[in-house]
Amino acid sequence: MGRGTLDKFDAIRRGELSAVENVQRALERIKKQDKRIKAFIELNPNALAEAEAIDRKLKRGERVGKLAGLAIGVKSNINVTGLRATCASRTLENYVSTYDAEVVKRVRAEGGIVVGMNNMDEFACGSSGETSAFGPTDNPAAPGHIPGGSSSGGAAAIAAGMCDLCLGTDTGGSIRNPASHCGVVGIKPTYGLVPRQGLIDLGMSLDQIGPLAPDVSGAALLLEAIAGKNPNECVMLDVEQVSYLDRLGGNGVKGMRVGVSPKFAELTDPKVMGVIDKAVEKLHDLGAEIVEVQLPNLERGLPAYYLIVSVEFFSATRKFDGRKYGKRIEEVCGEEVLRRILRGQYISRKEYRGKYYQRALQVRTLIRQELMAALEKVDVIAGPTVPKLPHRLGEKISVSSMYAYDYLTIPANLAGICGGVIKAGEVNGIPVGLQVQGKVLGELEVLRMMRALEVHNSCE
Amino acid sequence: MAERQKEIERSAEEIVRSFVEAAKELPELKETYYSQEAYNIVRPDGKPTPAEELAKFRKRFISNMPSSDEQGNLKVEVARWAEER
Repeated sequence: MGRGTLDKFDAIRRGELSAVENVQRALERIKKQDKRIKAFIELNPNALAEAEAIDRKLKRGERVGKLAGLAIGVKSNINVTGLRATCASRTLENYVSTYDAEVVKRVRAEGGIVVGMNNMDEFACGSSGETSAFGPTDNPAAPGHIPGGSSSGGAAAIAAGMCDLCLGTDTGGSIRNPASHCGVVGIKPTYGLVPRQGLIDLGMSLDQIGPLAPDVSGAALLLEAIAGKNPNECVMLDVEQVSYLDRLGGNGVKGMRVGVSPKFAELTDPKVMGVIDKAVEKLHDLGAEIVEVQLPNLERGLPAYYLIVSVEFFSATRKFDGRKYGKRIEEVCGEEVLRRILRGQYISRKEYRGKYYQRALQVRTLIRQELMAALEKVDVIAGPTVPKLPHRLGEKISVSSMYAYDYLTIPANLAGICGGVIKAGEVNGIPVGLQVQGKVLGELEVLRMMRALEVHNSCE
Repeated sequence: MAERQKEIERSAEEIVRSFVEAAKELPELKETYYSQEAYNIVRPDGKPTPAEELAKFRKRFISNMPSSDEQGNLKVEVARWAEER
């Protein structure tokens, strides 16, 4: 009943399944399926040796961490020593990480085995999983359709059962969007809860690393392992440790207040909205109180976001000049990456700073104020994740149609709040995810809401 | 190539125009640079990296360099795009 990850973890601890067997199975699944799905860019040649080390520890009765023996995929924009952090771009196609990102150190410290680097949209600039220089990722839950992006490989790997958990990143919806399209669980943590050190940034004021998992318990487990203050980081919340798993069940959602906005229906395909409305009804049936909240400027977040992220991305990519490592980005990157660089360059000009960039930061304030005001009245806000169904792989759509996938996920990044996604149902066999947005450090409420729905769905 | 760049530039400017339109009637507000204003500018002194680990790091770093001399120093050439300026 949605405890798959925890059951597997318990089996490893009890010796019923060895870490080596678990990793071996993951590698076999990858070998069998990944030519078609393209969820991984590179595999870790030391994964089995690392799993053996965990098994030896278990045999000796030594302490193993909360991820002991689980097979973990890592998005290719996070540094893992000895593996390539390509950002799915020709710019960094041969760049081998010289150190572990802080989140990877924490995963390793808890006994997680990195099995490989997940495919993604190039430099996380995309919402479809099609812009990778290593080829587009297929959606295992709806073959022939986009898996969403930019953490396309991670979501697809979970949906195909290629690994137990994945680390993704979310700047404007890049964990939640593919989680929705692939029918898996994804969490964008509160900005500043999870260390970003070692992440190759897209937009430093918006990026967060978070988990993708087959179930809510798995997402909670990985989030517990990676969250908490890193004293070496500049912008980080003062949170020492977090604990979610032991409080997931609690009293269910009885008495919790769930906000819904009429704005969601205005921006969303009625077929998708139909699935979402049913999920909200279930939450009501489970004892949650449904409250209408107003988010009048929600859609204005999208153009403001694309201005802010372009400026930050332009700044972040200036180091990719091809002199110390890699290739000069403008010479080898794809269309969307170049579009964001050029736009960022244009907006960053001194004469346009006040007109565009500062104005976008004011809109960010407005979106933040509206979401915070809404969240004062409720515990969480529930609604659709993506306003439309995923298009077919390779189908040409306009730039504005591509950006429109992000309407409903961007506001959480602009406001710095947390958000999670869980499968709510399907339209013509294609998964549709419910997005549950929570307050700053409101991850527990988000996880509880998602867990209640997961249990309810598994009983149907 | 030039045509492709122009086309990309055009589409890049399109979102700027749509933003101006979307923000036209919105109030003037304080700008939000980071959603959390919790800056940590003092980093604690860590333990020095052990010599063995430092050597491994250096080896990994050098392996990413496009070019190095006999001593393992990075050789930097003036980039083509810089010369053009």
